[in-house]
Amino acid sequence: MSARTVLLSLVAAGLLWGCGGQHDPRSGGFFGGVAGLSGGSYDNRVKEREARLEELRATQAQLDAEKGQLETQKSAAQARVGQDQAKVDAMQADIAALEKKTKALSSQQGADQKRVAELQKRLDGLKTGMRKQESSLDALEGSGLGDAEVDLKRQQLEKQRDALRKEYDLLMKMQMELAQ
Amino acid sequence: MRIAPALAVLVVVLASAQCLHAAPLEAIRDILRRHLLDPPDEAALAGLSEDDLQGRLRDIDPYARIISGGEYRTPLGAADSWIGIGAGLAMRAGGPVLHVYRGGGAERAGVPDRVRLLEIDGASVRGQDAETIASGLRGEAGSTVRLRVALPGGGEKSFTVRREAFSPLDVELVPPGNQRVVRVRDFAGGLTRPAMRATLDFLARTTTSDPSAPLIIDLRDAPGGDLYEAFDLAGLFLPAGTLLGTIRGRDGYALEIRAPGGDKYSMPLTLLIGPETASSAEIFAGILRQHERARLVGQTTYGKCSSQTDARLSDGSVLRYTNREVLFPRGDTCTGSGLTPDLAVGDDELDMLQRLVERARALSP
Repeated sequence: MSARTVLLSLVAAGLLWGCGGQHDPRSGGFFGGVAGLSGGSYDNRVKEREARLEELRATQAQLDAEKGQLETQKSAAQARVGQDQAKVDAMQADIAALEKKTKALSSQQGADQKRVAELQKRLDGLKTGMRKQESSLDALEGSGLGDAEVDLKRQQLEKQRDALRKEYDLLMKMQMELAQ
Repeated sequence: MRIAPALAVLVVVLASAQCLHAAPLEAIRDILRRHLLDPPDEAALAGLSEDDLQGRLRDIDPYARIISGGEYRTPLGAADSWIGIGAGLAMRAGGPVLHVYRGGGAERAGVPDRVRLLEIDGASVRGQDAETIASGLRGEAGSTVRLRVALPGGGEKSFTVRREAFSPLDVELVPPGNQRVVRVRDFAGGLTRPAMRATLDFLARTTTSDPSAPLIIDLRDAPGGDLYEAFDLAGLFLPAGTLLGTIRGRDGYALEIRAPGGDKYSMPLTLLIGPETASSAEIFAGILRQHERARLVGQTTYGKCSSQTDARLSDGSVLRYTNREVLFPRGDTCTGSGLTPDLAVGDDELDMLQRLVERARALSP
């Protein structure tokens, strides 16, 4: 439920509560109201409604603040997704460079072709993982997941990217050994 | 190495060509002859032909199959972003059941998890096979489908579900977070272990629950995945160097797998299991139980501790066949028998997560 919907619900609830009143119903209504003018009930009700209006204003201010906070959090989350996308792009560039070197190795005379093939196979796995990172980050913006789950998904992607980075480092080492 | 999903059919991917062109039979025979876990009978190999190839392959190896080049997806790619209703389909004796994913269209339309599917757009699914039902559920992003389901407490209800793109969580956190229930549906190579770590960190950061309090891992909808991911995930909960199991292969091949170092979690574990818990999920559960790190609640699992591998054929198709068997630390396997729970529940209870959570809590130390 958005902050706006919550606000409208609260306002509606407030109005209904106002109609219901909390005094003896026999003192309300037209006749009771007229009679009550001299008895002080009218002043009481005005004060009560003013107080209620003040409460609603306070609630609205609180909701406005929360909405602002949510928007700040949302834009911060979007900025983090943007940073994640930049990291993925950088890693993909690194992987492309590694693949280029691996291809050069496979055409090199005397290279251990079995190990080069193993390296290429693992590189393919790494590339698939990175593609998933990319598509998952793209999907996060239009995701049907709730705010907390978007945050969780982003953290899962981050940890998975760390694992992929370790795999990349390992393959880099393998590639360097093969090149020597 | 991939352990093929046993029962669930994912309905969130687009249909692909099913036809198989003339498969290179001699290459298939050669691969099976040299690499199948248990050496095949030569007469059975000779009997392989284009006519009912899949059936004849299954006679040799119950998990062998040919996958067309168009249909094949690598294990890592299997958990990509999807377009669909955001649910898995499990075929049961009582009818097809929907496994509803967090954040997907079905969940947002209010479809309860693990409900029996009765109709798609007004047409009964009674007697239909998985592929026919799945194609009725698939469709373009933005389109809708009307589903009629049998509700868990009795009665029926219809839901209009919008098909859409979504990226499922690799490890789901079942709300409310402070009840500490996470769900694993797939053991995706290189992905599930880091996703589990991220989820446990997230739990510690966002809920008031004690990080050392018992954790419940729901494996009821986990039909398999990557074998090494199952070992890696089990290794998160066991000390470095602990024997996780042995991978047995042809001609005396045996590879012991031990828990790696790194971050460890020591909270008590309860695993929810059922007949759809298979292969990698069974291996994960079996390892933790043998080391007395987890107790199992639910029903006996599927019973498949073998592992398959994929070989690309010259026509672009892929042969999947069994080449490994996993033995638990005590040397036994789950193949054929499955894992029996420490606390067994009835069929109705198995589909009621909240009831299972209560039973699991009662069982926790």
